[in-house]
Amino acid sequence: MFETLKEILVSKLKVSPEQVTPEATKEDVELDSLAVVELSLVLEKELGVEISDDELLDAETIGDMARLIEERSARV
Amino acid sequence: MAGIDVAVTGLGLVTPAGIGTAASWAAVRAGRPTAALDPALEGNPVRISCRVPDWDPGQLLGGRRAHRLDRFTQFALVAAREAIADAGLDPQTWDGARVGVVLGCADGGPGTVEAQHRVLVEESPSRVSPLLLPMQLPNMLAGQTAIEFGATGPNLVVATACASGATAIGTARDLLLLDRCDVVVAGGSEAMITPLVMAGFAQMGALSRREDDPATASRPFDLDRDGFVAGEGAGVLILERAADARARGARIRARIAGYGATADAHHMTSPHPQGLGVERAVRTALADAGAGVGDVQHVNAHGTATPLNDLAEARMLRRTLTGDPLVTSTKGVTGHLLGAAGAIEAVFTVLSIEQQLVPPTANLHTLDPEVEIKVATEETGTRIELALSTSLGFGGQNAVLAVAAP
Repeated sequence: MFETLKEILVSKLKVSPEQVTPEATKEDVELDSLAVVELSLVLEKELGVEISDDELLDAETIGDMARLIEERSARV
Repeated sequence: MAGIDVAVTGLGLVTPAGIGTAASWAAVRAGRPTAALDPALEGNPVRISCRVPDWDPGQLLGGRRAHRLDRFTQFALVAAREAIADAGLDPQTWDGARVGVVLGCADGGPGTVEAQHRVLVEESPSRVSPLLLPMQLPNMLAGQTAIEFGATGPNLVVATACASGATAIGTARDLLLLDRCDVVVAGGSEAMITPLVMAGFAQMGALSRREDDPATASRPFDLDRDGFVAGEGAGVLILERAADARARGARIRARIAGYGATADAHHMTSPHPQGLGVERAVRTALADAGAGVGDVQHVNAHGTATPLNDLAEARMLRRTLTGDPLVTSTKGVTGHLLGAAGAIEAVFTVLSIEQQLVPPTANLHTLDPEVEIKVATEETGTRIELALSTSLGFGGQNAVLAVAAP
């Protein structure tokens, strides 16, 4: 799931690929509250996974975010 | 305020004639038109536009930054970066609190609005981007410029339609005269060549319909002119008090010696047929510059190539200025950059003074016999101590800059 999330961050939100590591924080990849809403919309549209921006904001790192998406998509 | 001079120390351009001042000025001097059929306007009643060539915002601004900016803001940041460097200023070390930003635009980011409106209608309101407003709001032009360059002084966007760029420069000069700041990043930017906006202009009958020969569609002061061609881009000037500029050893490229701003109070779109409003703006700008009606050698006219504008403006210039100045409209090359027009034309006026030449009015083949002024049809070397740049906006707003040699 990390690779899928990375692909979305790079292709849709135009984050530099070298910045996206499992340990990177939201601040490291410059994901502010607007970008997190944007990400939530893209996840729903591309993966059919509904995760609110608040839930995404609770994830500390990109790796945490990927795990959250994985759990949620397993439930679908 | 008498005795305080405002200097232009830096120039930056993004225009249909090229990215950068050098490329844009070269095309203007050569009289090389930029109008062409625009694939993005397929299906529109008028498909002619002047686009910025080879625009790659990701390469110029970084992908992440560009992704969160509407096109009109992207243009402004690139032009501002050039102007700041040209002025020899360094945003890493300047006192940002004394740096103001005054930029103009007519419409903000309609491209973003139209794209998100499609999402609203075709998908769902809950799919609309959270970036819709931060991208399209007109004031983001100045806000994003502040963020990019750490300019934390006075910060505003002015809207006087097609006079916005000139209004911004005049307002920036006022801020310097009042000592509100020491440096102003001033100018205008526009990116409103979208299907909806262009359909609106077409319905007004404002656009040239010369689709069989689009390169010649923008023909200011020509007998066969039939409307304007919309362009896009940005013009930015760095303004400082001349004494400050001299003290830091900056190159003073010209002075903004006077500014006149008036309203026609006549009609929502048509200029006053005799150009009474813009005449008062010319007289105000000249008085502000301490100059007379016979002291002007050159006018970079608004000259949109609409039948009404060019006639009203020519009558006004004929009636008001006694020195038989050499007039040009650079819109023959660039098209009409709307809220950026006054800014890019102020840059061209500075360059005309610096190089003592008037660029040609492209596509002017047969001067309208009712246009009884001297209009340049080829590049003409001439002495220019004082020049005017005139701008008129829908709504009857007029802004005139008097630009003087240093």
